[in-house]
Amino acid sequence: MISFENLVVLLVYGATLSGVWALISSGFTLIFGVCRLLNLAHGGLFIAGAYIGLSLIKGFGLDPLTSTVLSMIAVGFIGSGVYTGLLMKVKEHEVTVVIITLALALIIEQVILLMFGEHGIIFPPILAGVVYLGDVPLPAMRIFGMAIALAALFLLGLFVTRTRIGREITAASQDVEAATFIGLDVNRLFIVTMFISSLLAGLGGVLYSQIYAANPFLVLKALIFAFAIVILGGLGSVKGSIVASFIVGYIMTVVIMFLGARWSELFALLIIIAALIIRPSGLFGVRE
Amino acid sequence: MTGKEKTNVDRRSFIKYAATAGIAAVVAGAAGYFSAPTRTETITRTIPAGEVTRTVTVGGQTVTQTQTVTVITTPTRPPPKPPAGKTEVRIGVLAPLADRQGKVQENAARLAIEEINAKGGILGLPVKLVVADDKLSADTAVSEFRRLVTAEKVDVMIGGYSSGVMTATMEPMAELKTIFLADASSPAHARKVGANYDKYKYWFRITQNNGITFALDGIEQIDYLAANGVKIDKLYVIRDEHIWVDEWEPLFTDLLKRKNIQVVKSVKIPRGYTEYEPLLIEANRLGAQAVFNMLAISGTGDVLAKQWSTLKLPLLLMGHDLAAIDLGFWQSTGGACEYEIFMADGGVVQTAPPTPMCKSFIENYTKKYGYPPEAHQGYGAYDAVYLYKKVVEEAAAAGESNPFDSDTLVKYLERYTLGNAIELTRKVAFYPKGAWGADGTRWDHDLVWGDEYVKNWVAQWQGGKQVVLAPAWLKNADLKLPPWLK
Amino acid sequence: MGKKFIEVAAGVAVLAAVFASAPLYVPEALIWILGMSFLFIVIAMSWDLVTGYAGQINLGLTSFVGLGAYTSALLQVTSRLKGTPFEFLAGQTAVPVELSLLAGGVSSALVGAAIGGITLRLKGWYLALVTAILPIAFVQTTYVWKDVFGGEEGFTLPAGLAQTPIGKYYAALAVMLLSLATMLLITRSNISLRLKALRDEPELAESIGLDTVKLKILAFTASAFFAGIAGAAIVNYRQVANNDLYDVPLMLLVILAVVIGGSGTIWGPVVGGLLVYTMKLWWLKGVVYELVSSTGLPINDDVILYAILIALAILAPKGLWPVVNANISKILRRSHIFPR
Repeated sequence: MISFENLVVLLVYGATLSGVWALISSGFTLIFGVCRLLNLAHGGLFIAGAYIGLSLIKGFGLDPLTSTVLSMIAVGFIGSGVYTGLLMKVKEHEVTVVIITLALALIIEQVILLMFGEHGIIFPPILAGVVYLGDVPLPAMRIFGMAIALAALFLLGLFVTRTRIGREITAASQDVEAATFIGLDVNRLFIVTMFISSLLAGLGGVLYSQIYAANPFLVLKALIFAFAIVILGGLGSVKGSIVASFIVGYIMTVVIMFLGARWSELFALLIIIAALIIRPSGLFGVRE
Repeated sequence: MTGKEKTNVDRRSFIKYAATAGIAAVVAGAAGYFSAPTRTETITRTIPAGEVTRTVTVGGQTVTQTQTVTVITTPTRPPPKPPAGKTEVRIGVLAPLADRQGKVQENAARLAIEEINAKGGILGLPVKLVVADDKLSADTAVSEFRRLVTAEKVDVMIGGYSSGVMTATMEPMAELKTIFLADASSPAHARKVGANYDKYKYWFRITQNNGITFALDGIEQIDYLAANGVKIDKLYVIRDEHIWVDEWEPLFTDLLKRKNIQVVKSVKIPRGYTEYEPLLIEANRLGAQAVFNMLAISGTGDVLAKQWSTLKLPLLLMGHDLAAIDLGFWQSTGGACEYEIFMADGGVVQTAPPTPMCKSFIENYTKKYGYPPEAHQGYGAYDAVYLYKKVVEEAAAAGESNPFDSDTLVKYLERYTLGNAIELTRKVAFYPKGAWGADGTRWDHDLVWGDEYVKNWVAQWQGGKQVVLAPAWLKNADLKLPPWLK
Repeated sequence: MGKKFIEVAAGVAVLAAVFASAPLYVPEALIWILGMSFLFIVIAMSWDLVTGYAGQINLGLTSFVGLGAYTSALLQVTSRLKGTPFEFLAGQTAVPVELSLLAGGVSSALVGAAIGGITLRLKGWYLALVTAILPIAFVQTTYVWKDVFGGEEGFTLPAGLAQTPIGKYYAALAVMLLSLATMLLITRSNISLRLKALRDEPELAESIGLDTVKLKILAFTASAFFAGIAGAAIVNYRQVANNDLYDVPLMLLVILAVVIGGSGTIWGPVVGGLLVYTMKLWWLKGVVYELVSSTGLPINDDVILYAILIALAILAPKGLWPVVNANISKILRRSHIFPR
């Protein structure tokens, strides 16, 4: 039977991982669901958040909390800038969008590699120290990170259902032509959506680098995982991507604890493939 | 090779060596006859001739080595002249220039070459540096190697870093018969030389020891701790899943068993892995006194240090972590690496340079570039340039018709072997042809391991600096234990 | 069919003439790179076959390259097969290189067929994702069974495509020309119409009675076959079997080559492949060095390649080949060789 200690570790560590993945994948699926864009640069935005935050700390001497907030916003602007500058005109051509965003992600990876080196950076955590649950030491940042991630997702949900812009975005996602017909500025809505989803990605990146570490190669790894989680949850469904994040996060944590660290990623991906073969449109798939 | 083929080869090489000695003696004699009475340097070395069988202890393991040694005496002669038509000496550096381990090789070689040119070059010829980036890719490395040798006409190659890339690069090296003074720690490279000496003999590992020695260095850490009051009987191992650890983990575990030390668990992690906390918690639960890491490819040693110092469990952190060797490790972990014990690859910790030349190299490098050598590959590259100059000069002094010829220089490089190290920034010597290592495989042309040669010193991070704890003749600090250890 | 056949023959002949004479005027160091680029072109063409022609987004092509490579390599270093189900082969004399190339192609083709079958129900991005996992799984396998595959360090092959670099160059050229000719014939035949139907209107294709299952598996198999041959040739070109080649970077380079060249044309990947590969390994370096040293920007040749890709995606979304093709046609028409 599984010991109490193992159970606590499993629950807390699994939740942190899942929470961070949920931040990045919900943003990814939001863009697809609303703007019908497959933004492969999303992983790049995720990591850019971490590196921008670190630069703020190193360059301007800001404290971790302020720089987290500022880099989050900065990434939001970068994301919406990418949309306005590059994607807006070609958004009908799926393949073109994919190529542009993928190339962009790789440019971000290479630039970070050149500017900061390959060894990754450690972000000083907002909260340092350890909290003890019985015999089990839990880094405070993990619990804090988990709380922040969940809070952010909750706020996202409120935004989409309770605010006017949120409801307009939902309308636009369901039927773009009808939305234009009733006078909604669809383009503005898309820009807002890109901003929010990039914001979430940036936040996820900063949190990730405080709990673990950020390195340039995460640009592609985060993309693959976000992509996989989103597809498992169903392209376009925010609820689906959150649920899928938790499934994947916990699978990975369980595998690390009982099978061995080296198998965790492979396992997660294999399970996703298996799920897709059984149910090709994902758990909560949005059908075209 | 079968035993019979091996004896035939040995016999053939003995005859080859004896013939060479004879011809050298004749040439030397003739040169002496025609020598002009100017300033002369006499280099005489007497080595017992014939077949020599030696029993040597390498890190507690007894190794029998058989060498065929020849007598080469160099009497007084005029200052050696370079071969006709040669106007400069070209030294090639092939390394991953985007990484500090590669860039430092370019910088160090450049510094060495400037110093040498200021003193008249090699055999009076100016030396030119040719640099190429291997971009950590086997294909790029191979095509750049070929370009440097065939188009840029370099005389010798220095460089490398990734073991996989090195394996591929040994092919054009063999084909183009170019001396390669190399980095990378994989035992497979020395084994290639052992398996096909004539093809791969141009390779000499100069920057750091054969990876198998990490097992021996690990035992040194354990012994050092025991001698300083820290008793360890249970170890938890966190290791890269990759092949480089497979080479030495069995030897390490075996040596541990003989000391009654148990490895309670050995966890393999992939590249980029970051979930160390559950592992540390498990290590503590299983009763280990220390976590021994074997990391290089994972790239996340800084995360491990950070999480270890956050959790503050009663565990020592020790072993081999490539990240911990980096001078910027303190900065990148925010000081969390304090008290981590590690192995200083390449035999240099900057606070305790092992030779006077090392000390001045560090100073001159810092003066020229504004910061000290950013990775240990710098010492290897610097040594490689000076070693090349030395053997070329020796070959010319011995009257070799072409002192830049690779086949000729191989023999001169091989003279720097056990009992005859050359003191550069470290004391460099190579295992001879036919040498067997501590793991029972061939270590031909590998860097000699030992207290009097090059070794991964037992080091620790203290007060933001790297210090050497052992061996006694080099140490500049005593062991400091983390305050949270009960 | 006759005219198309002449087009194929003419194109291949011109290419053969140009490259066969290259060693006369191209510096030796570049011959090596050129030879490797031929093999890269074969990989790019095979990707065009499955993704550009048949519309099956196969992001796992590099694992077929790797499969072919290791098959060929292991058949020549049979001692490494000990302890595997293929142990009966260990200790036998090494398989001749040409045969091992074919074996590489066949083994990849078999696995390609299997993958095509397993992923039958997946379309579009779902298919892309599942196939994208393949290279990750493949590379993991080379780490896990490192006694056989050699992990990240790899192992050496005793013999290669030829004894000398020039010999290897011509061997690689031959492989490329043969693959090109074959793929051109496939795509200029009736099968290509059906593949394009599968790509553009799958439901319609089904409804008019095309066996889309068979077509899809055929596309996977054929492209895997050529990818496997290319992989086997590569490993015999370098004479080292390493797993660094089969990861994401190669796939990206292939996509780059096909997109820049123009997908769905087979000739596009030839142009794009040559351009991209030589750019990456050779002439882009000088340009980048100048740029970096004069401006100090954090860029390298990859950044420039990707920036070019973005620019092309916006300005010439169909790639370069259609532009080249249009101009060639214009010239030929004006000279009355092929009156249209």
